[in-house]
Amino acid sequence: MLRSLRGLVCHPQKLDHRYALHTAAKDCLSSLVKQDVQTPAEGPRAVFYTSENDPANHAEHHEGRHYTIPLEEVKAVFPHGLPHRFQQQIKTFNEACLMVRKPALELFAYLKKSNFAHPAVRYVIYGEKGTGKTMTLCHVVHYCSRQGWLVLHIPDAHLWVKNCRELLQSSYNKDRLDQPLQASFWLKNFKTSNERFLKEIKTQRKYVWGKRDSTEEGRPLGEVVEQGLARVRNASDAVGVVLKEIKQQCHLGFFRLLVAVDGVNALWGRTTLKKEDKSPVSPEELTLVYNLRKMMRNDWLPLDLFQQLHVLLTLRIPELDTVFQRRSHKRGTEGHCWRGIVWTIGTSMGNSGTASGGAVVTTLSQTGSLFKPRSAYLPQELLGKEGFDVLDPFIPILVSNYSAAEFESCYQYYRHCRWLQHPRAHTEEGKEELRFLSGSNPRQLERLAGPL
Amino acid sequence: MAAPSAAGLARRLRAWLPRLTPVRWSRYGPSYLEPDVSKELYQKPLEELSEEEKEKLKLRAVHPIKAAPPSVSTSVFSDPMISKFTNMMMKNGNKVLARSLMSQTLEAIKRKQLEKYHKAPEGEKETIECNPYVIFHQALKNCQPIIGLSSITRGGKTYQVPVPLNDSRKRFLAMKWLITECRENKHRRTLMPEKLSQELLQAFNNEGPIIKKKHVLHKMAEANRAYAHFRWW
Repeated sequence: MLRSLRGLVCHPQKLDHRYALHTAAKDCLSSLVKQDVQTPAEGPRAVFYTSENDPANHAEHHEGRHYTIPLEEVKAVFPHGLPHRFQQQIKTFNEACLMVRKPALELFAYLKKSNFAHPAVRYVIYGEKGTGKTMTLCHVVHYCSRQGWLVLHIPDAHLWVKNCRELLQSSYNKDRLDQPLQASFWLKNFKTSNERFLKEIKTQRKYVWGKRDSTEEGRPLGEVVEQGLARVRNASDAVGVVLKEIKQQCHLGFFRLLVAVDGVNALWGRTTLKKEDKSPVSPEELTLVYNLRKMMRNDWLPLDLFQQLHVLLTLRIPELDTVFQRRSHKRGTEGHCWRGIVWTIGTSMGNSGTASGGAVVTTLSQTGSLFKPRSAYLPQELLGKEGFDVLDPFIPILVSNYSAAEFESCYQYYRHCRWLQHPRAHTEEGKEELRFLSGSNPRQLERLAGPL
Repeated sequence: MAAPSAAGLARRLRAWLPRLTPVRWSRYGPSYLEPDVSKELYQKPLEELSEEEKEKLKLRAVHPIKAAPPSVSTSVFSDPMISKFTNMMMKNGNKVLARSLMSQTLEAIKRKQLEKYHKAPEGEKETIECNPYVIFHQALKNCQPIIGLSSITRGGKTYQVPVPLNDSRKRFLAMKWLITECRENKHRRTLMPEKLSQELLQAFNNEGPIIKKKHVLHKMAEANRAYAHFRWW
């Protein structure tokens, strides 16, 4: 009956006369017709622009087109996520336009179809320098925040392992080092983007910050954040508490969690920081990095696991029986056995919640990385053995340079925004020269188009 | 015997008349032609060429051509004035830095003008010039002095004599003033692109310290009108 929407939309006037349509399909078509009737009116803009501003509705036919994010939403969702040059573009053009590209659409498809009862899937966005990994991550963050997820966005993990002026010895654990400035900066931005969740999530334990300060059990998480912002010495510990609480509570069914980390290879690399006795600091000695590494593991299951395990063992659930039978005959597989049990419990637990679980989307970045060659871009090269083993298994998502259509779209967008002012840039020769000089690399194209 | 001694004689003669023979001279003979890097002429098929162009191509086919210097490019975006300015801004041969400063300056000008453009009401939008190249050329033109001063010594005293300037000297003075102003009269922490873009925009609107300097020079030349007859060229 309804084979392809595209064919039907081309003849909007013939719709009602020729085809007997289901009402739902009719409504869907009429909304599509309205949308496509808009685009012929702004005819030349249809190549590079789409008026569909909700990332959830982005589909393959939006590929290569730019969509706008309203400026208020930019301030709320991205207090600290966007690249610096993109922020300058937003300021100059007075609008935030992001291109819809294949890697982002692929990620949306995976996120829509994933079973959140299972442990969180880890995605690693990788690619050569300047191909758009951070922008893809920002697109995903926008999608998740529109869907109402709790977004834990670390804009650049490299900033936590270099150029730190103040390193304090942690009061919680003497071997670790605190970074008060970075932690308080991140807490401030986290507060801006996730106000409503901070009121809803309650602490599950009492936390003692000092002789006089403590946070009781059952207080909203916003208090922990306030404590971290007020007493900068405790900021790193506050970050650790926030991460722990969110991880424990994400399977209770109140929210879905997205952990978005840009430059995740910083967590397993080397740092340029030095202790007071000039000895180098390794990343696990930093509180922030240590706590973030724990988030990267996909063991987001509730605390009182062993209590539930006890209950389930007494009830003899059939799935557990199969797990025991399959594994028990192998020697030395107790660890695997326990993992199997844990997985089964997680599935049965998670099925009860309405919105639980989540995903971990990370990006590799050579740009801010330390002690890595410029040509390295593959996960094995940038993460190293340690990082790769921790993140393994993950879903790799490759982001490559612009295709011909995407380049065309970007070029038309720059022309439309009056970013390309040079008269020769509007000619065919100018366009070919830009294509050749940039190699269709998004960053190079943006840098070349700057002075033109 | 005769040939080496003739060359040696010429060399000794040249040493004896140091001022009459040029020290730096081109190794190219008189028949060498300048390279022509524009693609348009060579991409046209034979039928479309006019008579003059056919003559020119025939001439170039038989004459040797000089090597193209590295500063000349076939890019459609290359501008000789911008290249000259970049070279003047360059220090210790660091062309990479000079070129990046120039492109950052042009970008800064474009950003400032675009922000002004987007905030302006509909009627004023056409009056705002957003093209950084147009602004650059117009600003340099506004900074060029019409008449200059030359020191001439007569009877032990040095007089500042008003003197006409040729085009290249005018362009040089404008660029020199612009660069000196941006290097010296700025706060320690301001970067060159920011200061340069500010000065260029001011010069485009015929205001700012460089335009003032030009006016001061004109006034001095006007004041020293009486000594104009000291000039002998």
